[in-house]
Order: sequence, then C-alpha cells, then structure tokens
Amino acid sequence: MKRRTLLTGAAALGVVAPLARPHAATPVKVRWWYHFDDPTASPAGLVQAFEKAHPGIKIEAEGIPWGGGSDYDTRLYTAIIAGNAPDTAMVKFQNQPRLMEMQALVPLDKWISAWAGKSDISDDLWRLTRAPDGKMYYLPLQYVVLYLYVRQDWFAKKNLPLPTNFENFLSGAEATTGDGHWGFGMRGGPGGHDHWGSLVLGNGAKLEKGGLITPKALAANRWFIDLYRVHHVFPPSAPNDGFVQTIANMKAGRTAMTIHHIGSANEMVKALGDAITAVPVPRGADGKGWTDFGDGSNAIFAQSKNQEAAWEWLAYLSSGEANVIFNKLSGQVTVTKSGGAHWDAEPKRFLDATVESLPLAHVLPPTPQTADFTRTVWPQTTQKALLGQVSPDDMMRTFEKLFYGD
Amino acid sequence: MKRLRLFLGTELPVLAILAFGLGPWLWMMLTSVRPTLELTHSPISIIPGSFTLVHYITLLRRTSFLYNLRDSLVVASGAVVLGLLLSLPAAYAFSRFRFPGRHVLRIQFLVVNMFPVVLLVLPLFILMRQLGLLDTYYALIMGHATFTLPFAIWLMTGYMDGLPTELDESAMVDGATRLQLLRLVILPLAAPGVVAVGLYLFIASWNEYLFALMLAGRHVRTVTVALQMFIGENTINWGLLTAGGTLVALPVVFLFLFAQKRLVSGLTGGAVKG
Amino acid sequence: MKRAALTPWLFLAPALIATCLLVLGPVLETLWLSLHDVVLFRPQVRPFVGLANYVTALHDHTFWDGLGRSFVWVGAAVGLQFALGLTAALLLNRQFWWRPVARALVVIPWALPSVIIGLVWTWMLDFNLGIINQVGVDLGLLSGPVPWLAQPSTAMAAVILAITWQGFPFFCVTLLAGLQAIPREHYEAAAIDGAGAVRSFRYVTLPGLMPVMSTALLLRMIWVANSLDLLLVMTGGGPGTSTETLPLYAFLTAWSGANYGYGSALAVLLTLLLLAVVIFYAVRSGK
Repeated sequence: MKRRTLLTGAAALGVVAPLARPHAATPVKVRWWYHFDDPTASPAGLVQAFEKAHPGIKIEAEGIPWGGGSDYDTRLYTAIIAGNAPDTAMVKFQNQPRLMEMQALVPLDKWISAWAGKSDISDDLWRLTRAPDGKMYYLPLQYVVLYLYVRQDWFAKKNLPLPTNFENFLSGAEATTGDGHWGFGMRGGPGGHDHWGSLVLGNGAKLEKGGLITPKALAANRWFIDLYRVHHVFPPSAPNDGFVQTIANMKAGRTAMTIHHIGSANEMVKALGDAITAVPVPRGADGKGWTDFGDGSNAIFAQSKNQEAAWEWLAYLSSGEANVIFNKLSGQVTVTKSGGAHWDAEPKRFLDATVESLPLAHVLPPTPQTADFTRTVWPQTTQKALLGQVSPDDMMRTFEKLFYGD
Repeated sequence: MKRLRLFLGTELPVLAILAFGLGPWLWMMLTSVRPTLELTHSPISIIPGSFTLVHYITLLRRTSFLYNLRDSLVVASGAVVLGLLLSLPAAYAFSRFRFPGRHVLRIQFLVVNMFPVVLLVLPLFILMRQLGLLDTYYALIMGHATFTLPFAIWLMTGYMDGLPTELDESAMVDGATRLQLLRLVILPLAAPGVVAVGLYLFIASWNEYLFALMLAGRHVRTVTVALQMFIGENTINWGLLTAGGTLVALPVVFLFLFAQKRLVSGLTGGAVKG
Repeated sequence: MKRAALTPWLFLAPALIATCLLVLGPVLETLWLSLHDVVLFRPQVRPFVGLANYVTALHDHTFWDGLGRSFVWVGAAVGLQFALGLTAALLLNRQFWWRPVARALVVIPWALPSVIIGLVWTWMLDFNLGIINQVGVDLGLLSGPVPWLAQPSTAMAAVILAITWQGFPFFCVTLLAGLQAIPREHYEAAAIDGAGAVRSFRYVTLPGLMPVMSTALLLRMIWVANSLDLLLVMTGGGPGTSTETLPLYAFLTAWSGANYGYGSALAVLLTLLLLAVVIFYAVRSGK
C-alpha cells in the first residue's frame, strides 16, 4: 500500500507539528464548537460563570454555521482529518458511528461514573445515548421529541377527535383538506425522514434486517404514499418542502397538522394563539408508535490535549441551572430532572406533549449509512415515490438495501 | 422626438432589465422591514402593513455583522490586489509574446480551475495548516486566488488582445522597457478591462462561502458565514437574513458607482493613428 | 536572443508559482485519491484500486443522467445569462443622463451571496406563500398556484431562472468593458459606408467584442458547470434526482456519502469533459 498520501500524511502531521501551546502558568485553553438557532444568542454568560469557578481554564467558544447539518459536519470532519479538531464540540447521534470509525472520540465513562450530576439525567436519556459498543462517548446536553401539531379549532369545528391513531389521523386530514388548505404539512425535502418515520415506522415497518420489506411494512408505506397521491392531504409542494415551508404553512393557516417539536412552539403560539396545540404522533393498532428523538450532546475528541479541562466544561453545561440557561439559548429542552421540574420556556401543553411522546421516541440505526440516508437517500427516493417515478415498494427495498444489504 | 426615441429605445428597456435585476432584491428589502409575524400572512400584502427597522437594529447591535463586513472588505480588497498583481503581467505575457508552450500553459490555468472547489477544500485546509495560516486574512485571500486567478488571467488576456499592437511597437521604438510599456501604455489603455476584472475579483471573493467557512471562522469571519448563521437547524431568522442580504449588496454597488469612471474608452483616435 | 525568450516567463512567474503552490498540489492530490477506495470516515484504510472508480462511473446510471442534466443546466443558464448580459451591455453603453446609476444598480444580483439568492428565490417561488404564484394568479397568468420546485417539469427551469438572474451582470460588466476597446472611428467609417445599426453591430461591434466575448463565455461555462450552491439550496438535486447535475452528484458522493475516492473520480471526469471544450476553443482561437 502506498504511504505518502494525503490523509495519512495529515494524520502524521498532527503528531509532528510543533505545538504552539505554552505550558504551565497560563490557563488551559478549551476549544468548543456549538450551534444555536438564534444568531443573537451567545454562550458568553455561561463561559464567564464557568471561568470564574474554574480559574485555570479558558473556554474558546466558536459558533459554527449549521448549514442543514452538512456545513457543520464538513467542517468537523475536515478539522479531524487534518489534526486540527477542537477539544470538544456539540454532536448528533447520526454522526457517532462515523466519528467512532475515525477513532476520533474519547470514552467518557470514567468521568461520568464519578460525576455528581449523573443521577440528575434520566435513565431514558442515558440509554439512548449509549454507543453500540456499550461505552458512553456523548454527554447529553439538550433534547427534543417530535410531536404532532394540530389546529384544535378546526378539529373542534368539525367535531373531530384529535388524532391518536392512523385511522382518525387520515379522517382528520381529509376533513381539513380543501379550499387551499391541506390536512398535513409533509416535509419531503432533506430531514423529512422523521415525518415518514412517524407515519411508516410507527405503523408496522421496523428498522431491523428485513423489517422494512415485510408485508406490513410495505402496506404502511403504500398508505403513506397514498396520502399524497390518492387522498391529496399534503400540499402539492410537499416533495420539496423543508422545515421552513412546513412551519410557515402551519403558521399561515394553510395546513391543519404537521410534525415538529417544542423548538417552534413559541412562534406557533405567537401566530396562532390557542388555536394550536400538540399531541403525540399517531399510534398503530398495537399501541406502538415511532417518533424521532432529536438529540444534542457534547463529545471530547481524541486529539485533545486538554481532556480533563474539557470534561469540566461539559459537566458544567449538562448540570442543573447551567443546562436550563443553555437550553433557553438553544431553544430545546433541558436534560436535567431538576431543571425540567420548573421549565417555563414554552406553554405547558407543548412540554406535556413532549414528555408524553418520550415512550415513542427512537433514533435511527447507529450505522455509518445513517447520515447518507437522512441527507440524500431518503429525500431522493421518497420524492421519486411521491412523484410516481418509483413504486412505494421499491422505495422500501432501496432503504432496506442501504441499511442491511441484499 | 429625439427624446422620445431615446426613452423608448434605450431608457425603457434599461428600466425593464433593472426591474428584473432589482425585483428580488427589492422584495428582500420589503421583507426586511416587515414585522416577523407578517411574513406568514396569507395572502401576502405587497406593501408592508407596518414598517419596522427592528431587524436592522438587531443586526447591527446584537450580532457581529459590522465586524464581519470589515473582514469581508479586507479579504475582498486583498483578493483584488493579489489577483491584479499576478494576472496583469501574466496576461501581458500571453497577449504580447509568442513562446513555446504558450497554449498549454494558458489552458493549464483553466484546467486547475475546472476542478469542483468542494473537492479542493480538504487538501487546501491541510496546506494552510502547514503554513500556519488558518483563520487569518491570508488564508482566505490566498484561498480565493485559487479560483479567481485563472479567470482573471484569461479575462485580462482577452482585453489586452483587443488592444492594437501598434502602440507597443511605437513605444518600443522610443526605447521603453517592457515593464515601462506595461505600466505606461498598456495599463491606461486597458483600464476598462482592469475595472471589470477587479470587480470580478472583488465580487468572487465577497460572495465566497465554502473557503470562508473552512479556512477561517473565529478571528476572521466574513459576511457570507455570518449570514449562514441566521439559518438554524429549526428556524430561519428571515428578518436578520433579509436585512443582512439587503446590506451586503450595497458596498459592491458603491464601489462600482465610483470605479466605473474608468470604464470609458481608453482609446482615442489620435493614439491609434499616431 | 536568449534574454528575449526569457522575458515572457518572467512576467508569468508570479502567477505560475502561486498556481503551483495553491492549486496544482491539491488537484494532483485529488487525482491520486481518485485511484483509491477512500472512505472519509476510515482514513487509515485506503486500498489502491487503480481505475476501478472510473469503471464504476461509466456503468453508473446516475453519472450519465447527471451528465445529461449538466448539459441542459450549462446550455440554458449560460445562454440566457449571455443574451441578457449582452443586451444590457449594449444598452448601458449608450448615453443617457442616469446611466452611471443604472450601471451600478445592475450589478446587485451578482453582488449577493448564493445562499441568499437561493433562499429568496425559493421563498418567492413558494407554493403557498410565494409572491410569484400570488401575483401570477391575481393577474390571471396562472390558473392556480404552481409548486415550481416540487415537480420535475419545472424545478430545473426555476433554478435556471435564479442562476440567470445571478449571472447576467457578469456578462454585462465584462462586455461593457470590452465595448470600450472598439475605436470610435470604426463606427464612423461604417456609417460613412452607409451601414445601418444592424450591419454596424454585425461588422464592427461583434468582431471588436470577440476576444472578450468568447473568453467570458468560456469562463462562465466552466463556472456554471461547477456551481452547485443554488441547486443545493433550492432543490438539493430534487425532486427525486431531477436537478442533480454531475458536480452535485460528486459532492454528495464525496461528503454526504463519505465515498471520497469515488467522488474524486467523478470530479476528475467532469474536469476532463470541460478540458475537451477548452481545447476545442483554444484550437479554434489559436489558428
């Protein structure tokens, strides 16, 4: 095998390059990458409070553009490959398999087991965060669970129950469709796999070998495609709609339902007031359902020379009051039990819907293919099926092949 | 009558082109002075129901947009200077000399430019790290040169090819050196070309996002990266985005408003007949 | 004699050194990677596979489809930008009192970052809340709102409209500068020969503009062929793959699919295709 190549050369460089970091007396610098939805939100207050309590550590916080996820990832992967990774950064589950394969992560178990804040984070979150090899590489920081937004005023006017299962979801969607209105604002662009997941994975399909092509799974997916092609309860623009369009349509009163999370609750209420509420996504006949667990964690990178100091910072961000402040900046929900007890950032009915949805919350399989699935394979294939270019069954076979091979 | 002909034949078509060219920008400007809630009103009112400057105030007071504008100005100006310094002599050589390998060399400049930039960014990142230039103005100025330089050289050569060679010859007869010739004869004549190429270099750097994202970020952050920060994972801040988008075009407009004085014929009848 | 032969190289040296340092290295590196099976998240294991990535590409439907769409994309976008830019340049070369302002304002679309352009056009073309559908329906031009970006028949045209808008000022400014190099006497001589507006355009303007025009066309073609940010923002290649051009496919393969070796091979193939066009141009203009 040829050795003088770019990537290995760069990895070697990380070792050889002189370290410009001064020793001893000067405080230890911790580089941390983050992303917030609100460009005016700054973690400076948290950094200040932390540095005051830890005089030996200086935090260099850098906001990275999210860019649909791909900008953030591209920047992170490039930095890791070039040996220039930050000490720690905000990360998502779907990247964990790739980061593990790159041997870029440090297990956090030894610190977590000795950490006082451990019991303040619910066991559910620890379970969801654990890597397939049994270790903990991510420290939970924030979360959301996707739920169903419903125009309760329209449903009340037509005397319809708020959706609980797939039958009354469809009848509700059909009854609220017409005259420039649509029953469900479907996200067909990149990232819309979470809508599809609730309507197909919650209705009989399973993310396991063979689980996407069982008769039940194929029937669920046909039902999903029919929502658009037969019942016309999605807006015609659904194949290209992203979260911007689905949320804007909901706020504008053009759709009766859509799936999103508590991060948009305040803007919804500003636009629609009491007319809007949220319920857990529909459940199948077996009482089970599927909704996406929207995660946000911190990880420490193996390249870091300051892992101890980085851990101090992460532990601070995930504990008690600091985590509450952090999540008010990021617009998501605190991971601590103590902070959740007095959570008041959004109207209560949206937090209730979030908590009620937790038992349905799932994550996509922890495999390297997942990032490609959400970003490219899911939108391309689903759009083709919605447009009738491929059959719903072939759509499921494509997914099965991507995740589990032939 | 003559006035009417000018209006119908020139001014009216210009107005039509400007309507197309400015329409989306004006729509963005109208969006930037609407209260956020009005953005999702349906049907849309073309004239805002109420007028607000809150997005501009937030943009300038609560984000780092002004510093980002400064960084963009430094980087784009640097890119213009570097680009012109390198492309003027190169274009002169291509335009006025016939030497072996000229064609191959000229094409070589374009070949390296045909590569999708997205695949060059990783090697370039490693190079800039080796040079210790990551997150500096130099990294971006040099990074932008990678894709602007070939264009600048070709475009400049195109303009110089259009200039008659009689002037060179008479200057050479008068005993001028090649460098004097370039500076005193060609440069003034090629002024419109220099303005066009300079504007090209400026705008290409001004609008560049990928390198600005990858090669800088903390100490140097350009407006393109700053604008991208307004697009979150779950929300787009339309108010800030459209306010920033409206403002970001203005420096280029002013620049061109002044630079175009040089965009007049450098050729006078006497000079050519000379 | 020897000194004279050296002169052009001295003028070229700065640009050549800069190019070798900044671009040639990375390009060769990518070329080398395209001969390996490089998976982005497995930097340690990267077997040499020779031309296997290229063979795969030639048998890959998506590659050929992407190539076809790239032809449509480049042809339509460059053609429209050029037509509009040339018209604007000719008009803005005439005398009228507010010409300086008009010239400055016309560069606005070019002066905006692509991401802004993509988002603003997406918003204007929106099915439910877009101004284009609303005005179109109000004026009776459309029988109902059209999901421009969500149907294969209109998505490509919609993105081409946006890139035409973005790119026509480039032609306008470069051609406007080119028009200055045409000596006034040539027009006067043509007028004396009794040539009208059309004939003087055909026999004076066009030949005088030719060096700049053909260079600008060539450069723009390369730029448009490689550009993918508007596509990425407005459709992401969709709906389905109906707007997935070749560079977009290479980009998605290399980064989202993490198949960096194959993505590099696709990029090299695109470069070779463009190179063929450039050589054709150089041979024609070099005779």
